[in-house]
Amino acid sequence: MKFDKDSLYKLGKLSKIQIDESKLKSLSSDLGSIIEFIDRLKSIDTENVDPTSNSLDQSLVMREDIASDVNTANEILENAPQKELDFFSVPKVIE
Amino acid sequence: MKRNLNFIEAGSLLETSETTSVELTKIYLEKIKEADELNCFNTVSAEQALDEAEKSDLRRQQGKLKSRFDGIPIGVKDLFCTKNIKTTASSRILSNFIPSYESTVTQNCIDAGLVSLGKLNCDEFAMGSTNKTSYYGPVTNPWKSNKSDAKLVPGGSSGGSAAAVAADLCVASLGTDTGGSIRQPASFTGTVGLKPTYGRVSRWGTIAFASSLDQAGPITKTVEDAAALFEIIAGHDPKDSTSSTKEKENFLDNLNSSVKGMKIGIPSEFKSDDLPLSTQKAWDDCKKLLQSNGAELIDMSLPHTMDALPTYYIIAPAEASSNLARYDGVKYGIREEGKNLIEMYEKTRSVGFGDEVKRRILIGTYVLSSGYYDAYYIKAQKIRSLIKSDFNQAFEKVDAILTPSTPSTAFEIENEPTDPVQTYLNDIFTVPINLAGIPAISIPFANDENDLPIGLQLITNSFEEQKLLNIAKNVQDTVNYESVPKNWWQK
Repeated sequence: MKFDKDSLYKLGKLSKIQIDESKLKSLSSDLGSIIEFIDRLKSIDTENVDPTSNSLDQSLVMREDIASDVNTANEILENAPQKELDFFSVPKVIE
Repeated sequence: MKRNLNFIEAGSLLETSETTSVELTKIYLEKIKEADELNCFNTVSAEQALDEAEKSDLRRQQGKLKSRFDGIPIGVKDLFCTKNIKTTASSRILSNFIPSYESTVTQNCIDAGLVSLGKLNCDEFAMGSTNKTSYYGPVTNPWKSNKSDAKLVPGGSSGGSAAAVAADLCVASLGTDTGGSIRQPASFTGTVGLKPTYGRVSRWGTIAFASSLDQAGPITKTVEDAAALFEIIAGHDPKDSTSSTKEKENFLDNLNSSVKGMKIGIPSEFKSDDLPLSTQKAWDDCKKLLQSNGAELIDMSLPHTMDALPTYYIIAPAEASSNLARYDGVKYGIREEGKNLIEMYEKTRSVGFGDEVKRRILIGTYVLSSGYYDAYYIKAQKIRSLIKSDFNQAFEKVDAILTPSTPSTAFEIENEPTDPVQTYLNDIFTVPINLAGIPAISIPFANDENDLPIGLQLITNSFEEQKLLNIAKNVQDTVNYESVPKNWWQK
């Protein structure tokens, strides 16, 4: 299977990754070869098989909802590329 | 100081006051400096390490040890968040990230008094089998072929963790394993690598790749070391909802290397004409060894073995594409400015991620996208059930399974195939284990005709790490593999 230009751009939009025009050819062939590889599974009979999402035979563990003072706003904002007051700051959105 | 000091030996030397944590830490910091060429570390935290070592020595003087291994210097894969120490996942997008919290795994090490020397290089976001996808450049394997001077890959993704232990730049290290990322590099570097049962070790604070497969574990010089470090990092963590509530055992003290009466399965699907003769011979020799030590060999089948790799390359990228959505230039990491919010996201991610990570995000997005979700993602989850069921049935008949760890020994850094699928084949023997969630260990067994280490993999049922370590110790003690790489990198 080959990915054409339009489907690669669509995939890029969905993934929020810009597709570099100079890499279209190599990307198409790389992704094509991965899809060809995973397409092998199509012939396997999975009728009446339940999907496994997690290998652990245990339901998710809940914990007490207790407030703690780790990861405070100030600490977290230290890593923000841009901040204003106590907020993350992003380019203006006008709709 | 003895070369290649192991974890247990280091503990004894500290206990008998033949060395101090500060002395050990200084020795290792010096070794790290001399091994710059191997590129094992992304960050060396010398100041903090010496500070921690001093505190450990003080605790020892005051008789207030945190554990019997208090003061031993280790290395930490740059995938574990470490408070106030840069944590990058070897990615440009996190190249300025300094966590404000400590991962549970590294906190457990701190609670045992271990001293972190720094953060070890790895494939970007743990995606790779060569350590070549790192933003900080490839790690070089300390081993070289006796026929060539070419630099070899250490394997990946925990390439820095494995190479640092093999080159004796730390006593032991921490890695993570999503599809073989502890066992494959351990195999390529003549070290011991343990991937625990899914849920044994908390994932909290470990940068996520594929959450249903990721599991942290030790890379060490001996099986006893693996038992000791595993015991330190394992245990239930309320902060990880998939963390097992099972009590952890005293894996080190309970080591018992007898294999008498044990049934060892040999799966027919792992036999291949493509397997190098030396790997085949090592596998055969290990079978004979276990047999002469009293184990019984059982020919068996894991019918869906060859379906595991394509299944993995649906599930892992799908989970990755979702996990890596958080890197968007807003909360942490780098940002590339754009005309509007969407363009800022796209530019940040295009500049911040490397090619392999982008490929996996795109594939993951594709298999999860409308119209393909059932055909790929649900299908893969169903085949995952079949793979798990193969192992469940196998463990009704056998105690453990023995296979090679990798289809080849370490290869040249310059010789990686251009087709990504060819690189993925490195993990063909390790990936089924992650899909089933069971534990496995790679141990060095022999060297091939180029004098490069060959690793063998032992696999047991969920939460049977004790049995796994016991059998591994039996093999280790019988084969007595003692090769170490020649230290050509020392200036």
